[in-house]
Amino acid sequence: MSISESPTRVEPASFRDPGNQVFYAGSEVLRGLDPRAAEQWRALAATDFFPALLAEGKVCGTEPVDPSRVPAGVTWAAVLRHERIPFVSHPYEWSFSMLRDAALLHLEILRTALAADFTTKDGSAYNLQWRGAAPVFIDVGSFEPLRDGEPWAGYRQFCQTLLYPLLLTAHLGLDFRPWLRAQVDGIEPDQMRRLFTGPRRLHRGVPTHVHLHGAMQARNARSSTTDVRAQLRAAGYTRELSLATVRGVERLVRRLDRAPAASPWADYQRTCGYSGADRVAKERFVELALTTAGSPRLVLDLGANDGRYARIAACHADYVVAVEQDPDVVDTLYRTLRTEHDRRILPLVMDLADPSPGGGWRGVERAGFGARARADVVLALAVVHHLALGRNVPLPAVLDWLLDAVAPGGRLVVEFVHPDDPMARRLLDNKPDGLFPDYRREAFEALLAARCRVERRQDLPSGTRTLYQVAVGG
Amino acid sequence: MIDLAYLDAGSGSLIVQAVVGGAAGVVVATKLYWRRLVARFRRQRTDQS
Repeated sequence: MSISESPTRVEPASFRDPGNQVFYAGSEVLRGLDPRAAEQWRALAATDFFPALLAEGKVCGTEPVDPSRVPAGVTWAAVLRHERIPFVSHPYEWSFSMLRDAALLHLEILRTALAADFTTKDGSAYNLQWRGAAPVFIDVGSFEPLRDGEPWAGYRQFCQTLLYPLLLTAHLGLDFRPWLRAQVDGIEPDQMRRLFTGPRRLHRGVPTHVHLHGAMQARNARSSTTDVRAQLRAAGYTRELSLATVRGVERLVRRLDRAPAASPWADYQRTCGYSGADRVAKERFVELALTTAGSPRLVLDLGANDGRYARIAACHADYVVAVEQDPDVVDTLYRTLRTEHDRRILPLVMDLADPSPGGGWRGVERAGFGARARADVVLALAVVHHLALGRNVPLPAVLDWLLDAVAPGGRLVVEFVHPDDPMARRLLDNKPDGLFPDYRREAFEALLAARCRVERRQDLPSGTRTLYQVAVGG
Repeated sequence: MIDLAYLDAGSGSLIVQAVVGGAAGVVVATKLYWRRLVARFRRQRTDQS
């Protein structure tokens, strides 16, 4: 099988397990395996459970390729080619139900592996990605044969990056995203113990996974994991116990279901001041822009709200990423897409005025949103006034940021809400008079003209909003 | 026995999994602590003699 001749680029997040490394050659995602990892891969490929997980789409597509065909660089004992994930996202961009489903898939994969005398070396939320509203396990290098008598090495990581964030939101109603965004290794048991005091100590899952776990860590801080593994083996720890633990955690995570709260943004389509005629005109404009763009590979819908335009985009594009600030609105959209078995719309939670920065080692291990956002079409509908008037971002900076997200040759569909529009007035009422003298339609059009080519412009029937379709570079 | 795991699983995190696994796991954890206690006791006696 041939591999692209392009020079390779190492995935910055792929360094923690020295046995294998993910790298890119052109548009291909490859994984190099050292001799031991290659041996484990051969054992894994020969099992019944792994091909079944692949066929069900629960693990990302993987096939071996000829290592000698890999472009010059490190020599690997074996090389795998992975299916490309359409848009890489991070757990701090997921809604509660997304994180919960990701956790459940990880546990299901571990349980399936354990039954076949395999395990996963780790238990991180970063082992999972998305195909639309379906989670997929991407860390194929994580599988290894089980050494009997050993508990799951990934349990602590699973708690810190998946279970604890879920407990925070389910039991305390706290947003887990700032914690995960700030700490690449997730939330420490000691941090959790301080949050779950008094009667909160008794919440489901908290006495064992948080308090006992934290206490055990403190008591065993000086024991090496090698010694403890040997002691557990001698005391009779078995695979059946591992399975019982995984099933227990699965039951707990299933019970942490939480319906999204009603949000002022949830009913935005009805309350945003659009007339029916406005909505029809806007949908037609967006539809035509997407048709003009050919068959876009990736569409970014920034400020996606309930996903109405993301759904229109999905009729014309391979993949749509719907970014919305309100976690409950995103969770509702995700749950709907999940029931529809959608594979082409990825809903994400993010404040556009505070997009995900780079995180982890040197700030590149988890790429920032700006480094990932490069789409053939960017939709910025009813979003510019929120950034410019609501968050005081200068209008040229808003436009430059939106244009940065458009791939060369791509298109931006942007809505300008005039200062006399009821929604703009509502934002302006909270600010001193005359704070935004440049927030005018003429100024916006001059900024557009200086940066790109306006292909189409349309005033909505209400007369207080204008849509633009612009072509960018390329 | 060489520890082949690349990840520091955390000693306490390994033991707590036994307890979370139910009654049989509690027995394993109790056995582990009992053996540790006996080992410490034996060490003390050896030191004294």
